[in-house]
Amino acid sequence: MRLTIRDDATAVGDYIANYIGKRIKEFNPTPNKPFVLGLPTGSSPIPTYKALIKMVKDGKLSFKHVVTFNMDEYVGLPRDHAESYHTFMFREFFSHIDIPPTQVHILDGNAEDLVGECEAYELLIKSFGGIELFLGGIGEDGHIAFNEPGSSLRSRTRIKTLAYDTLLANARFFKNDINAVPRMALTVGVATVLDAREVVVVVTGQRKALALSKAIEEGVNHLWTLSALQLHPSALIVVDEDATAELRVKTVKYFKSIERVQDMVEAQQAEIRAKHKSILAAGHAEGHQ
Amino acid sequence: MSLHSNTSNGLVCFTNCLLPQEDGSLLLRDLWIDEQRGVILDAQRTFFLRKERPDRTIDLSGNILSPGFLDIQINGAYGFDFSVYDGDDAKYQSGLKNVSANIVETGVTSLVPTIITQEKSMYPKLLSLLRPYSPSGGANLLGWHAEGPFLQLAKRGAHAPPFILSAPDKWHSFEAVYGEHNLAVREDWEMDVASGKSCGIGVRMITAAPEIDGVMDVIEELTKRGVIVSIGHSIASSDIATRAVQSGARLITHLFNAMPQLHHRDPSIIGLLGASPHISPAIPPTVPPTPVSGLPRSAKVPPPPSAKALTQLILSESTAPKIAASDEALSVGATPPMTPTHKAPVRMGSRSEMHLDKGHVAELEFERPFYGLIVDGIHSHPNSVRLAYTAHQDGCVLITDAMPMLDPHLRDGVHDWRDGKRLVKEGVRLYIEGTDTLAGSVVTMDTCVRNFARFTGCSLGEAIKCATYNPAKCLNIENCKGTLRPGADADFVVLDRQGRVVSTWVRGIMVWTSLLNV
Repeated sequence: MRLTIRDDATAVGDYIANYIGKRIKEFNPTPNKPFVLGLPTGSSPIPTYKALIKMVKDGKLSFKHVVTFNMDEYVGLPRDHAESYHTFMFREFFSHIDIPPTQVHILDGNAEDLVGECEAYELLIKSFGGIELFLGGIGEDGHIAFNEPGSSLRSRTRIKTLAYDTLLANARFFKNDINAVPRMALTVGVATVLDAREVVVVVTGQRKALALSKAIEEGVNHLWTLSALQLHPSALIVVDEDATAELRVKTVKYFKSIERVQDMVEAQQAEIRAKHKSILAAGHAEGHQ
Repeated sequence: MSLHSNTSNGLVCFTNCLLPQEDGSLLLRDLWIDEQRGVILDAQRTFFLRKERPDRTIDLSGNILSPGFLDIQINGAYGFDFSVYDGDDAKYQSGLKNVSANIVETGVTSLVPTIITQEKSMYPKLLSLLRPYSPSGGANLLGWHAEGPFLQLAKRGAHAPPFILSAPDKWHSFEAVYGEHNLAVREDWEMDVASGKSCGIGVRMITAAPEIDGVMDVIEELTKRGVIVSIGHSIASSDIATRAVQSGARLITHLFNAMPQLHHRDPSIIGLLGASPHISPAIPPTVPPTPVSGLPRSAKVPPPPSAKALTQLILSESTAPKIAASDEALSVGATPPMTPTHKAPVRMGSRSEMHLDKGHVAELEFERPFYGLIVDGIHSHPNSVRLAYTAHQDGCVLITDAMPMLDPHLRDGVHDWRDGKRLVKEGVRLYIEGTDTLAGSVVTMDTCVRNFARFTGCSLGEAIKCATYNPAKCLNIENCKGTLRPGADADFVVLDRQGRVVSTWVRGIMVWTSLLNV
């Protein structure tokens, strides 16, 4: 697992946007081989979305051949509701980039058969060959997507009852009326996230500091579901200085020191991938002769 | 720049623009329209349900994408007078078309042609010629606004005295003048929609003086049938004016003009802007209000005089020969005695309870009316404009009340008018040759919007609201005009941040741009 620390939330957003942009370009997606991206909602990813939008507007990045899957959606909230995740994604991201609407997937919290909806979602992800990169955020209790404390670390997409903490935290979006906050959501599972070939998580603000320390300085624990990331071979957590408040000095120093090595490793990886590609291409050419 | 362009899915995204909201604010947002159907889209629904996004994007460089302006009181423009019909239908229609085609340069995309008091036999014909009409490439003609003939003689302004009437037979008098079919229930008008002849909106407005015999009795029925009743050319007392509003009148015609000036003891029509929750005359007026418990009643409240008695009183005054015809705005001299001739029946309402919510105003038993304002700097002093706006912001409706000489390209000088008279145009001032009598306005709506923002000190977004959302709401058409709501007609005026018109769009098509008309 890597931990990258930036000064503030804006710098975190810029870093992740660049990172995702680079991944999409390296992938060189086509209509037949789209880049499959998992996406979160919430306040944490907004700076990332802003930076990605700017890259698209400046012509430096395109989502024409990107397919997206969102992490979660409330149950029973109308799609057009101001607080639905459909509305959030359209307002904060999709309306501003060039992604074709047919390539966007968000769980339908108003589906008649909610279980069927969840199963179909998993199958749909598989049909695209799985998720290339899952971007995520976390709650103050360390939940990733709506995988509240206590969720199985092998969970798949399913109906989930929201924790009281989450209801309280989200009441501010519903005129501070906790009774107006939907009590259920559909969410991808911890295992769905871990299945992605790469996971990138945004953690910003002091309020998330405890969750961050629990997730990376202690063992894998279903009470802090983000900690499952420790089992992922290619996980990146990008945080701001505030979010490091509960980490040990040693931890912070260590991750800062390895960041410099990261660029080098990445350059090497790119080189290797390019080499593989040319060898593969040569092999294909030979095979056809 | 091409006026039409083929896109593969016919959807257009306006980006990098400020969108005026219905609360007067301006938001930096995109707007999606369907160019073929000429309507504004719910972008989010289009994306998630229709699974489409616009193929074409128009960058407005930070300008304001406003709903097109509405002008609900305009007598003519570009040399054509809506009130003049010489028996030639084709000529009249080509005049309408000419106004529609040209007025878009002033940012107006919808107007309600207004006819001044006519000889009564003219109405059925004129009103039938003014059915909703939307020529391609021009502004929408929404219907008609009949200013008169049931007006107060003393406040007739430029209206011809012999044609001014009272309505002793109430509803029958109205039908006899306007024509039965023109006052029919709304459905009749919607026939045209199915046949594609109109934009679906049939606006019918009548300016009348509620103190005139018979008028008060028909307001409710007119309102029920979808006719907008506006109080104007009137000397109605506070009580009569309030009763007119309670019966359904929704608008005051050119506020301050052709009505008594504000008198603090009986503020008359203007006073409606400050209608107090404390005063609530009951309907019908003969029902005595219930006394407020705990408050001593110092005086016995006299029953209000009957409308008929009032009208007789008023008519006997207004027919006095001393009253001379003059412009509505300058008719102060013709105003009957300012101190009310009858004791204003001020009565306590049933509101006895105090409340503790700062900023909250106790509800009225009726909505305060909208009011039209001519913001040319002549017909109302800037202070008066601000005073009215401060009193009742959501009711403010900008009107031009323009004359046929309205034409930004028309040079100053002497121009022929009706009945052999000639008018002198000097900037936005228009007066009868050889006099200093104002003969209406020649101000354009875009100028009114800029003036209004300057006079009141409000934001451009708030001024825009008074020329878009407020008039649309007054006419009950705020679902399709004067708004950027999904489903509304894609009629726009693009303004720069100084409020100057950059381009005008009707049903999704650009019909005018300053770039081609410099």
